[in-house]
Amino acid sequence: MSLKIFVAVFLGVGTGYFFLPAEFSDYIGTIIDIGLMVLLFFVGIDLGKQKDILDKIKKLGLKALLVPLGVIIGSVVGSMVVGIFLNMKINEAGAIGAGLGWYSLSSTILLSDGYVELSALAFLSNVFREIIALIFIPLIAKYIGKLESVSTAGATAMDTSLPVISKSTDPQTTLIAFITGVTCTIAVPIILPIILKIPI
Amino acid sequence: MVITLIKYLGILVLGGLIGYKDKLSPKLEGKLNTIQTASLLFLLFVMGITIGINDKVISNIFSIGLKAFIISIFAVGFSILFVHLVKKFIPLEEKEIES
Repeated sequence: MSLKIFVAVFLGVGTGYFFLPAEFSDYIGTIIDIGLMVLLFFVGIDLGKQKDILDKIKKLGLKALLVPLGVIIGSVVGSMVVGIFLNMKINEAGAIGAGLGWYSLSSTILLSDGYVELSALAFLSNVFREIIALIFIPLIAKYIGKLESVSTAGATAMDTSLPVISKSTDPQTTLIAFITGVTCTIAVPIILPIILKIPI
Repeated sequence: MVITLIKYLGILVLGGLIGYKDKLSPKLEGKLNTIQTASLLFLLFVMGITIGINDKVISNIFSIGLKAFIISIFAVGFSILFVHLVKKFIPLEEKEIES
């Protein structure tokens, strides 16, 4: 599966670079949206067929929120730590990690604040995060752990990464992944500006 | 953002209800996996296009790309670490993963 994902992204990059006119990017948002809806619909059907899943989630309760909490703290701390080695301002490095894989929003927030280069960095870094997540989720689920595989996805755990998680783990983990994605998605526009304003 | 969230959640719940009530024909049910894989790969292909079509992004990939890549590795690595640390508090049923 990881190989298929890599090939699909790679072919897309090639097609976009060599064959498509720049005007095509106007339609991409709509195409992605429709594709996501189709995917989520079928993931929903998969979840629905597991009839005892709601009971399991009720049993988990608020503990399910530990996963997004770990993802948020881990992403921000991780990017701050590496920011020190890359000679970056710690708050700016942390803000990139706080994008949690949501490249369009994180780069837009930074751009609107006047950070041009940081915005490009946030865009690329969070695109890479999504690609890393998509490629490695099946491997991490198999060799490290299912919840750990969810953690790589961040905000994308509720949409782009969800089908991969659903294929690589089980219905219960898929539901936690969705909760994680939703929580991270809500968190990005809140924590990113806050971390950027930390005077360090 | 809120609208997007409601839209995604809505379509997921709709699919969930259909799956729960067994409203699917057995023929379509057998093809679920294939449809999921196909639409996923299509989506990733389109995502690749968004990167490839943007000249600015492509040239940036080689200049600031390395820095961005290192940051994302650390963000992902620490996410795995922190979730691994809180994992023992989450009572999941452990099952073997097929495939």
